[in-house]
Amino acid sequence: MALLEVNDLQTRFRTDDGIVKAVSGVSFSLEKGETLGVVGESGSGKSVTFLTVMGLVDMRHAQVEGSVRFDGQEILGASSSSLQKIRGSRIGMIFQDPMTSLNPVKRIGWQLEEAVLLHNDVTHAEARRRSVEILQEVEIPRADARIDDYPHQFSGGMRQRVMIAMALINKPEVLIADEPTTALDVTTQAQILRLMRKLQDEHEMAIVMITHDLGVVAELANDVLVMYGGRVVEQAQVDHLFAKPEMPYTWGLLGSLPRLNVTSERLEQIPGQPPSLLHPPKGCSFNPRCAYVFDRCRQELPELAAGAVGDEHRFRCHLPDEERARIWEAKKAALAAEGSAA
Amino acid sequence: MAYFLIRRVFWAIFLFFVATLITYIIFFVIPTDPAQIACGTHCTAGLIAHIRKSLHLDLPIYQQYWLFIWNLLRHQSLGYSFQNGASVRWLIGQDAPVTASLVFGGAIFWLTISIPIGILSALKPRSILDRAAMIFVLVGISAPAVWIGLILIYVIGYKLGWTPLGNYCSIVPSSTAGGCSGPAEWAYHLILPWMTFMFLFAALYVRLIRANVMETMSEDYVRTARAKGASASRVLFQHVLRNSMLPVVTILGMDIGLALGGAVFTETVFQMRGLGSQLVSSALADDLPVVVGIVVFACLAVILFNFFVDVAYAWLDPRIRLST
Amino acid sequence: MRRKHMLPMFLLSMGVALLVAATTVGVAASATHKSQGAASKAALKGGVLRVDQSAGQFDTLDPGLAYVTNDWAVLYTTNLNLVNFPNKPGRAGAQLFPEAAKSFPTISKDGKTYTFHLRSGLRFSNGKPITALAYQRAWERILSPKMYAQYGIFDQLNTMVVGAQAFTNGKAQHISGIKAKGLTLTFHLTKPNPTFVSILGMQWFGAVMPSMKYTKNPAGVLVYPSGGPYYIASNSPGRTVVLKRNKYYHGPRFQNPDEIVINSFPNSNGESALLQIEKNQVDFDMAGIPADDAAKVAKTYGVNKPNGQYHVGTESCVIWEAFNNARPPTDNVDVRKALNYAIGREPIIKLLGPNAGGATDQILVPGLPGYKKFSAYGNYPNFAKAKALLSQADVKNPPALNIYYNPASSFRTLEAQFEKAQLAHIGLQATLQQSDPNSYYGPIETKGTTYNIAHSGWCADYFDPFDFINVNFDGRSIQQTGNVDYFYFNNSVFNKAMDHAASLSGQARAKAYAALDQLLMTKYVPAFPLYVPTFRYMTAKRVKNVIYSNYFGYPDLNALSVG
Repeated sequence: MALLEVNDLQTRFRTDDGIVKAVSGVSFSLEKGETLGVVGESGSGKSVTFLTVMGLVDMRHAQVEGSVRFDGQEILGASSSSLQKIRGSRIGMIFQDPMTSLNPVKRIGWQLEEAVLLHNDVTHAEARRRSVEILQEVEIPRADARIDDYPHQFSGGMRQRVMIAMALINKPEVLIADEPTTALDVTTQAQILRLMRKLQDEHEMAIVMITHDLGVVAELANDVLVMYGGRVVEQAQVDHLFAKPEMPYTWGLLGSLPRLNVTSERLEQIPGQPPSLLHPPKGCSFNPRCAYVFDRCRQELPELAAGAVGDEHRFRCHLPDEERARIWEAKKAALAAEGSAA
Repeated sequence: MAYFLIRRVFWAIFLFFVATLITYIIFFVIPTDPAQIACGTHCTAGLIAHIRKSLHLDLPIYQQYWLFIWNLLRHQSLGYSFQNGASVRWLIGQDAPVTASLVFGGAIFWLTISIPIGILSALKPRSILDRAAMIFVLVGISAPAVWIGLILIYVIGYKLGWTPLGNYCSIVPSSTAGGCSGPAEWAYHLILPWMTFMFLFAALYVRLIRANVMETMSEDYVRTARAKGASASRVLFQHVLRNSMLPVVTILGMDIGLALGGAVFTETVFQMRGLGSQLVSSALADDLPVVVGIVVFACLAVILFNFFVDVAYAWLDPRIRLST
Repeated sequence: MRRKHMLPMFLLSMGVALLVAATTVGVAASATHKSQGAASKAALKGGVLRVDQSAGQFDTLDPGLAYVTNDWAVLYTTNLNLVNFPNKPGRAGAQLFPEAAKSFPTISKDGKTYTFHLRSGLRFSNGKPITALAYQRAWERILSPKMYAQYGIFDQLNTMVVGAQAFTNGKAQHISGIKAKGLTLTFHLTKPNPTFVSILGMQWFGAVMPSMKYTKNPAGVLVYPSGGPYYIASNSPGRTVVLKRNKYYHGPRFQNPDEIVINSFPNSNGESALLQIEKNQVDFDMAGIPADDAAKVAKTYGVNKPNGQYHVGTESCVIWEAFNNARPPTDNVDVRKALNYAIGREPIIKLLGPNAGGATDQILVPGLPGYKKFSAYGNYPNFAKAKALLSQADVKNPPALNIYYNPASSFRTLEAQFEKAQLAHIGLQATLQQSDPNSYYGPIETKGTTYNIAHSGWCADYFDPFDFINVNFDGRSIQQTGNVDYFYFNNSVFNKAMDHAASLSGQARAKAYAALDQLLMTKYVPAFPLYVPTFRYMTAKRVKNVIYSNYFGYPDLNALSVG
């Protein structure tokens, strides 16, 4: 049985302008100790999916459907008290901007202890001890002194480490990381990722890595979800995805990756804008931007189905398999040509 | 922090001098004869000349102002009223507790009302409570204090007879006050004035607090707290409140200054002899020493209070307190 | 003894026996009367009288400086004068009786020496005995150059008593003409003065401690021991005065409330106090009711009903428009007469609401000895007569009349505008000149002043026509500033007539002044008397024993009962 199993998750928001379909049928499963990469543009629904999983969406404005099973228990729509027991102790979540994600007027020691005391019946001294320990684990130097500092006294990278510490202090089984390194510089990013891998090994923790950065995914993930317009449009093991992506959107994503051995004049962009979640396009939501669009795309939403490769690798596209294979080969050749030209 | 404090103190002193100098000049520019006024109705030429001399009215303005400052610093004296010879410092000592009771009591009142309403409105936007609160805000901001006061006097004081119609009773029990003294009478007589006075500010603060709380609720660190498994009430009290109240502290400083002015209307309507109504009646009677004295005192009070508020804010927000 | 002497002895002993019997019966009778009176008197005692004073304050409660009616109303409750007004309504309340003095003074044959004998056992509120020195000190404080002002000069006290002028000039330590020895007080006057006893009824002459200091403070001494039914327990100028019952006072005046608390609200218009009286939160407002409410209050409560709450009392004052007799065109007597016909008294009185006063065209007021009612000009405008007088006056191109008024009062503003309109009806131009709201009298009391018509009035300092006629219309008193005769009226014939009347006493005096009153207003016409004003006031429901004093223009505070 998977640790976290999500089935046909749907999240809709009621707004003054109408109903926004942020998440329209996302399913996946996550095993213990594994890393799931979730890739997509802003507005693809990747963050909302996991906020919904955690029960952190504003239920006054949202309609949620589907199923989320954690360790066998259905937690979607569960009571706040049962969700509060899980959040921060069995499932941890860290967010994008460490500058604003920490309470500026409370010492980080207080914030870490809060995480401990919410879920453990221990003394303050014990909570403090654990806080110092976790700070040391995330490689904050002089943790016993710095524990009494305020967030604004830390650099961005340090703050993110603190966030991670706070999420991990109760040794959760799942860590959901929503763009944890986007706000950081490349060097720090590398350090953070390395840290996360180390912690995962030590604690046997499952990680969900939400990002728009495929490089991060390549480094960390076992499985990958590609999301677009509130849906999963491609789903595969990481090697398979990079070896043979099956969907024009994924091709675009990969094409826009900078490569060290290629000096192109411009990164390949996917033309156009992400779809409006208020009035999504009829048929395949990628059809306005797809270079390979044809009539059926505009009429019918493609199912998430497995292709020729196998049941593990699924995607949404109406293109016939041969077409798809041909296009990808052509792209691969072009990329190789660029590489050798440099 | 030390540098911050020193700078604030210096600024405060400078402001004080500017404000008092301007008041002094205004009174000497307007066309009245202070000696004639001090002399009263049964005046003779000899009496006027004597008064002119004793009030130093024959000296140039800057010298008079200097004498005034010197008197203030050396003897802590603010002069004597033209109307009845009372020491201005004594007068202010009588008036200040009245205005302070009204303003600070009113402040506690309005904070007590506006904080819960503001928070509840923010937690449940567009609910009936929220809409009712917004109506309350609209009325409070639009209705003049005088009107509110008169309506309250007429309905609650006169028709229903639930409260006294005016006057102020000293909080200190006294045998020479004819039964109008002691904490119970003090509070009883202040109920309507507090309600009138705090209406405007309660409205403003409900709006402010509601906006602040709503904004704070959508901050990232609140989301983090929820992600840690904190309950809604814990999130509210430990994370939202302190952060959303910080701007309230700053505004409070500004508003006490406003409040001293606004107190005039409430004091007049309820026949309370505080700084506000004293200022008005003295200005109408061209009683210069009293007017200048009250301006000096009010300046000092506002400057001091804002200073404390700045210090308090710096203390509450560690980002300011610990910046080097 | 021999038989011849026995009859006188017998008669003597009979006489003594009768005397003793009579005295015993008399004492018993008065004792019963007293105890009956005492029983009902005791029922009125007790409680705290709560008085407001809207739109005003006391400028001082020091008897050596007080010169305004509201100050005097309070001083009446604290002062122990040689002669004083009783707590009786109507005419009886205007008759002085000897209070500190055993009886009215003995006057020497030449009329220049007055001797008073004080009652024994009189005490101040601090227990100290009251002797003749107390009254000498009072006189000195109203005339001393060491005080903030010497208001005694306004009533010519400095020329009235021997040695007073030297004292006023600072040349003497004491007034030589006042001798105080034990309980005997003697005044030596510079010339005979039939008004002297009336003058001693003024609130300047209450007993004060001989050690009561002189001061330059305009508010005078704030708290001091006094000999009257009450004493000042606390005094916060412009705010609150508390009077408490003086246990050492044993005179006949009432001492009803245990305590009288007077709160002043200079900024208020009286509406709030009225509401509070109706709700029994305040007992009485010294400002009376606002003029705008007069009609409604009269309708709701009735006027002067027994045990009623709304009272209207006549003041011993006259409200007049002064004419500047020294400036054209009001320097012409026919013009002044014409104005008396043209302006119209009743319409102006009506501006103040019902029961505001009684029209008059006399200088003297009812209650004064010598008052004899006459009507010369009528209460309503008579333009025909006015115009006739104007043509008789034969004033070519009369300059515009300057109507001087205080803009702080809406009533005065309306009155000024009304007068301007009335003048227009008889072909006279007028300009309106606003005064400084805080300094109305200064300009008109200065010689050479440019007003033609100015609203003013006069209230009795003491109940003698001298105080109305001689004090105001003797042109020999005109000086550079501070003029009481701000009419600048100076007629040698009238001066002689005034001097003559002042020298008379009793009936002759009354008749002489009645004639002067008529003469003044029919022949010389220095002013335009308007009305005798009333004081319209409310008392709370619980207030009983309301005795109104025409002299003070207020109900006697010490008589009001809230027990």
